[in-house]
Amino acid sequence: MTGPAIFLLLAGLGAIAWVSARARALRLQTVARTSGRRDAVHSLPGYHGWYVALWTLIPAAIFLAIWANVSPGLITQTVLSDPAAQSLPADAFSRSAILGEARNIASGAQAAAFNPAARALVEPYRTAMNEYGIAGAALALVLAFAGGAYAFTRVRPDFRARTRVERLVMASLLIASLLAIVTTLGIVVSLLWESIRFFSMVNPVDFLFGTKWSPQSAAMGYGNKDAFGAVPLFWGTIFIGAIIAMVVAIPLGLMSAIYLTQYARPQVRKWMKPILEVLAGVPTVVYGYFAALTIAPALRDFAVSVGIHGASSESALAAGLVMGVMIIPFVSSMADDSIAAVPQSMRDGSLAMGATTSETIRKVLIPAALPGVVGGVLLAVSRAIGETMIVVMAAGLAANLTLNPFSSVTTVTTQIVQLLTGDQEFDSAKTLAAFALGLVLFIVTLLLNIVALRVVKKYREAYE
Amino acid sequence: MSATRNPTDWKSDVMQKRIARRYAAERRFKLMGLFAVMLSAAFLAFLLFTMLGNGLRGFTRTEIALQVDFPASPLLLDPANITDQGLVGANLPMVTSEVAKKALGPDADALLSPTAWTSIRDAIKADPKILSRTETISVPASTVIDLAAKGKGSPQAEAAVARLKQQGVLSTGFNASFLTGSDGTDPTQVGIWGAFKGSLLTMLVTLLLSFPVGVATALYLEEYARKSWWTDIIEVSINNLAAVPSIIFGLLGLSIFLNFMHLPRSAALVGGMTLALMTMPVIVIAGRNAIKSVPPSIRDAALGIGASPVQVVFQHVLPLALPGILTGTIIGMARALGETAPLLMIGMRAFIATPPGGITDPATVLPVQIFLWSDEVSKGFVEKTSAAIIVLLVFLLAMNGLAIYLRNKFEKRW
Repeated sequence: MTGPAIFLLLAGLGAIAWVSARARALRLQTVARTSGRRDAVHSLPGYHGWYVALWTLIPAAIFLAIWANVSPGLITQTVLSDPAAQSLPADAFSRSAILGEARNIASGAQAAAFNPAARALVEPYRTAMNEYGIAGAALALVLAFAGGAYAFTRVRPDFRARTRVERLVMASLLIASLLAIVTTLGIVVSLLWESIRFFSMVNPVDFLFGTKWSPQSAAMGYGNKDAFGAVPLFWGTIFIGAIIAMVVAIPLGLMSAIYLTQYARPQVRKWMKPILEVLAGVPTVVYGYFAALTIAPALRDFAVSVGIHGASSESALAAGLVMGVMIIPFVSSMADDSIAAVPQSMRDGSLAMGATTSETIRKVLIPAALPGVVGGVLLAVSRAIGETMIVVMAAGLAANLTLNPFSSVTTVTTQIVQLLTGDQEFDSAKTLAAFALGLVLFIVTLLLNIVALRVVKKYREAYE
Repeated sequence: MSATRNPTDWKSDVMQKRIARRYAAERRFKLMGLFAVMLSAAFLAFLLFTMLGNGLRGFTRTEIALQVDFPASPLLLDPANITDQGLVGANLPMVTSEVAKKALGPDADALLSPTAWTSIRDAIKADPKILSRTETISVPASTVIDLAAKGKGSPQAEAAVARLKQQGVLSTGFNASFLTGSDGTDPTQVGIWGAFKGSLLTMLVTLLLSFPVGVATALYLEEYARKSWWTDIIEVSINNLAAVPSIIFGLLGLSIFLNFMHLPRSAALVGGMTLALMTMPVIVIAGRNAIKSVPPSIRDAALGIGASPVQVVFQHVLPLALPGILTGTIIGMARALGETAPLLMIGMRAFIATPPGGITDPATVLPVQIFLWSDEVSKGFVEKTSAAIIVLLVFLLAMNGLAIYLRNKFEKRW
């Protein structure tokens, strides 16, 4: 019996359970009402329906989930005890290859066998799969009926079906909220796990402080010793994300926020604010394409024309400039919030003393809003160093420790993409290095976010 | 202040100059602000116009009308047996090339797209009767000719285009195959439908997973959970997840979903699961704000007439908060739709020439398709990439527009 068929059958059973239990509860209610005891039935009929339906579905579903994980092993056991399996080679690797092939043919995932030994096993596999499939379906149905029948006998006027159903609702809400913790744990565990494997091959000190990055040569067997020095990557990331991008984003974002909050007429503000927000909504792959196709060649031509040495068609400047533009809305909306949070009385006071608007902004509003602005900038930096597509497409792959913005540099995220795309083995230092880089990136962005939120929070409290 | 200080003489030259200087500074500052806003907007306009300028041409295609004399052509095809199998053996590419050489001269191979023969194949499939007569069939021109016809070619190609125009066989029209086709190696033949369908399937998985979980989490945190270290941990995790770089989610998907759980690689299922983990915090945060804005009096009234806490939430609070939650969901989905990096990690950058049939089939999505095409050497892919970007941006703008519309329509003040 196939999976979808069982699910449909169970869903149908659940619906029947719901309808019949609800009908029975309704009858009980009518009986109670006609006999003059209006409050004799505790729960509404719908709750009885749900109670019975859940008892029908949940035990069977849990059983099926377990069965799906247990039955492949049992099927293999059955096949191995078949006389046709006697001729299998003793070597575990070729044995499992033949078994896998036979399984694929039996389940229809593969059309024909390459190995003659597998062909003999197809029939036993098919029978075993059929038997276990039918057994699983039958057991699930028995469970569904047993659960439903048990619950159905409990449909009585004084039975508190609502309490039971609501308890389950609460439990599922709680479980849903745990998913965030599970995801966070999943990130930490998977990054740590693979990183530890990496650091068993490469010394963490060499990784964090080495200045030579050439995983390709390590993969080709020139030794791991000093091929995984990530300092050029860290520098490239900081150079693009924290320096060039911020040189663009901070003045433009801050001045935009100031203009839109302090000077612009409401009509202008109403239009310009969403337009700036569109900048944050453009997919980064579009920015990356734009940077690689339009900005980078223009910058290279410019650099060549003024005679700058080492100008590359994939440059730190191109990636940084475009990333800076992408970040403008983050900086401006954070600055907007923190300027708006400065009490009006401070602004009025400054204006009443005869200061011009710009003097008020520069000498009163900005200093007062500074912690919020700094927090916003930190968040923007964290976003910039985690940004992937722009740097993958526009910044290049050469690990350079350079100050020249026209030359090609590489970043942490670029290298993660580079190391993990294409065919790879999951036990080489080359691919595991990507997880170590991911771990560093995760820790750094986490710290930046925590600090930024602290700064913003602390500042907010000052005026409340 | 000393009592002997004279009142400031505002009329004096010194003071007037000083005031003028301050006013000039004021104007400069204001202009700087205006300049910053304008620069940002100009950049956006430049980006959009560049994409439009490059991309609109991607929606059109240059075609060459080819007169095919089927009975006289060396086609190895039995008119009674028009099957896919039969068409494969019919030697169509060579026949096309010969027919083209007869009509257009010895350099015809360079004029036609390498996949031009598929147009003839499709024509035969659509109407087998044409095998017994001479038929004019429009086939796509090669990339060089296509670009030259759109005014962006080499002088040599321009000359060829002029010659073809003189022969009256050249036409440029809407490229329907761009909307219906899939990835390929020939820029004249590629389309976005495969990637688009992949995007739709991925979004479906993302929505089905992240929306219920996100809403449930928001409800639990906002309505039921008492403040404790436990809920603090949940809350901190959610806020952190919202700030984790997207590529980290890709690493998570790779090591947990692919290497540990052995789910199918490159599939919309895994892509959707990965993006759902990213989208969930956005929905939770939006959902909590929406739930928070439902006034307590509504809850109190429902509780007061005997509703249970679960009934209060599901029959009163949730319906009122739903528009706000939906707005947040659309914004989160729009972000997921534009996301590329995590999907590269789980293998959705494979070359896939057939649209996925289900969520476990190998698939690619629009942003990844854009990324893949941007890496192609062939010149014809530039306009295709930009055209795909236009499609993606139109969808994103539509989603964001819908979110704004919903927010304005359902915004309530109690």
